[in-house]
Amino acid sequence: MSDVQAETPTVADFARTFRRIQAEIHKVIIGHEQAVEELLSALFASGHVLIEGVPGTGKTTLVKTLGLALNLSFNRIQFTVDLMPADITGTRVILSGEDGRREFTFQPGPVFCHILLGDEINRATPKTQSALLEAMAELQVTVSGTTYRLKPPYFVMATLNPIEMEGTYPLPEAQLDRFLFKVRLNYPDEGELTRIISSTTGPEEAGIEAVFHATEAPERIEALKRLVREVMAAPAMETYAARLVRATQPQNSRFVAAEARAVHDEMVNRYVAFGSSPRGAQALILGAKVRALLDGRANIAREDIERVAVAALAHRIMLNYAALSDGIDATQIVERVIKSVRAAKV
Amino acid sequence: MLSPSQDRRADEKLGQILGRVGSVRTRLNSLALQHAIFYTLAIAIACGAAVFAGAFLLPPLVFLLGTSALVIIGCAGLASAVGAGWRMRASAVRAAAIADDRAGLKGRLSTIVALANHQTRGPLWSYLVEDTLGYQEQFAAARIERRRVSRAIYPLAGAIVLAALALPVSKIKRAPQIAAGSGQDDLTVDLDDLHLRPADPGDESGMQVTADAATMRRLEDKLASENAAGGEPGGNSLNQLVNRARDMAGHLQSKLTGQQTASKQRLNLRLADAGGDQGQNEIHRAPEQKNRHSDTAGQFKRDQPNSGHEVNLPNEDDLRQPDSQPSPDVNGEPGAEANSGKDNPGNQDNSATDRASQQNGDNGSSGGAAHGIGADPDSLFGAPEASKLGSEGFEIAIEARPIDHGAKGVGHAYVPPKVRTRLSPSQEPDEPVARAAVPAEDQSTIKRVFER
Repeated sequence: MSDVQAETPTVADFARTFRRIQAEIHKVIIGHEQAVEELLSALFASGHVLIEGVPGTGKTTLVKTLGLALNLSFNRIQFTVDLMPADITGTRVILSGEDGRREFTFQPGPVFCHILLGDEINRATPKTQSALLEAMAELQVTVSGTTYRLKPPYFVMATLNPIEMEGTYPLPEAQLDRFLFKVRLNYPDEGELTRIISSTTGPEEAGIEAVFHATEAPERIEALKRLVREVMAAPAMETYAARLVRATQPQNSRFVAAEARAVHDEMVNRYVAFGSSPRGAQALILGAKVRALLDGRANIAREDIERVAVAALAHRIMLNYAALSDGIDATQIVERVIKSVRAAKV
Repeated sequence: MLSPSQDRRADEKLGQILGRVGSVRTRLNSLALQHAIFYTLAIAIACGAAVFAGAFLLPPLVFLLGTSALVIIGCAGLASAVGAGWRMRASAVRAAAIADDRAGLKGRLSTIVALANHQTRGPLWSYLVEDTLGYQEQFAAARIERRRVSRAIYPLAGAIVLAALALPVSKIKRAPQIAAGSGQDDLTVDLDDLHLRPADPGDESGMQVTADAATMRRLEDKLASENAAGGEPGGNSLNQLVNRARDMAGHLQSKLTGQQTASKQRLNLRLADAGGDQGQNEIHRAPEQKNRHSDTAGQFKRDQPNSGHEVNLPNEDDLRQPDSQPSPDVNGEPGAEANSGKDNPGNQDNSATDRASQQNGDNGSSGGAAHGIGADPDSLFGAPEASKLGSEGFEIAIEARPIDHGAKGVGHAYVPPKVRTRLSPSQEPDEPVARAAVPAEDQSTIKRVFER
């Protein structure tokens, strides 16, 4: 333990490590720079990521590459309709010992790992989806009255397929709220697609070099996560994050500043059914801290908060039918809220 | 864990950063203070200049309304300027935020200033201080805010220019008045469109009207008829208010334009007889020190309209006719001269008596028309005559009322000094006529008459 504290990383160490992991991932993943950065930001901010993208955009490959680069244990769960919670968390099975005695033994599920990929999580039933809640929030799993701790670092990445919505179960808001960021993987442009073709159809596969040794990887990553928490946030920045979150709430959008300079955002009141929860503000600050470290700073700035605002808030905003009919998505709402709060000079 | 020496060094660096933020704050607050002061002065000077120029250029009522509007706007502007200066003031946190924005420090200074007094600063605090100190040249006060003087100096300069422009206006407007005032002490004008109305109670125009008794009586009748036909009571009160406002504005204008002494000059208005020598109304402007009736000026006695009106001769020079000879032995009879002077204008004896009574000038002969000039009401109320003095285009409206000093006993008529001049060699002193001898035939007749 003392060795770990003695090797407390510096701001420069963080940025260097971050960029190196990024580089290793981009050996396989062509393009998606912002998605990769947000993915790693969520990892070092002790959060989980919901990845949304059409099939074939590299969601699963991205997660696998991340596991390889970090040299952490990696599991994948393909969510289907008939997937049961025990298939995720594990179950007690009767096993025969060496002495021939039979006893119930807990057989850990795929949730017991460092990096978990829940592929197409919206295809499982809500009961199965909620089996991940305890693991994601509290890093523990309770099976048959027995609680089992998960080893940190624990990082859940769930993918969503925005098409083929038949037979899917939209994630409940409570579960959506537990994902720190929602990352979108869009179609690659022509140049990126060309590079994907050439790198994946040849005889050679891209070799990924692990950034950490397997034995020290968890400690190193945990140290970097602790460093993120040490980044300082001025009260004004915390206030700014809080006002951004309140501005997404229809009932509070016009009283953001609680002063004469209140923000009145008609767009929020018209299209938003439910705004962001307080977890959104936490996500803003944590993501901003990672951004600050990457910029070589020990303090967060307004720009850092705004940079991560879409990833941190968009999936926490529930739109109404008016938004669906008018083609408004949550990203537009967040961008509008940022402009409104910034214009109000709060 | 940092050693004490490291802590001390970190504190010194922190002190440097806070000192620079303090200098930024000082400069920002200085600008805020200048903003408030300069705008306050600019508004005050501009409004003052506008009022000053308006006093010369505008009629009283417009001047009053304009001044009122300017005062309201000026007060609002002053409040706004002071409020803006107050809002521009910078606390340490705000100064740090401004420095962050302008130097592109991304919240470093704001974080340091906000967390400087916290007990637990975290392991990255020294890194933050060190990192921020590396940018110390970027958040020097001169780079964050280059201006030492607020931009509000420009409105102030504009207001000063405006005030400087107002001075020539006043001089241009004042020069003719000064020339007119210095060129002639006594002003005689033709009043083509004489309009008389009752004066306000508080009027201090210092104007007196003198005329013979008949003229004054007709004047009173006219004023009474105008009062009676003045319209509705509401209209009268409104007129009174307007007149009061105009008087107040005129008083203020006089003070601003420096014509206060001129306004206190006495204006004596004499209603002259149309058939007399002058045939016009004369306006004499006499200095204040020559006037001994200021306390009773502007008072109107309706209860004694027929009492002898005091002869209020404005200047003794007017009374020294070159052809009039002093007749100290002849005493004028009060009350008789008015009728004789008016009814028999061609009587030379009566005219001589009038002139003699003027020259005697005692109080007993101070009847309203005793000066012999008389007044012709027709020339006052009738059609105006053509100007005889070449004053085309000159028009004056006079607000006046008759005054009766003799009835009150406090006003005294102007007593001209008794002038005794030596006779010329060709003249002989007045002597009794030698008694002639009575013829003899007449002596018997006279004797018979006396005996009878």
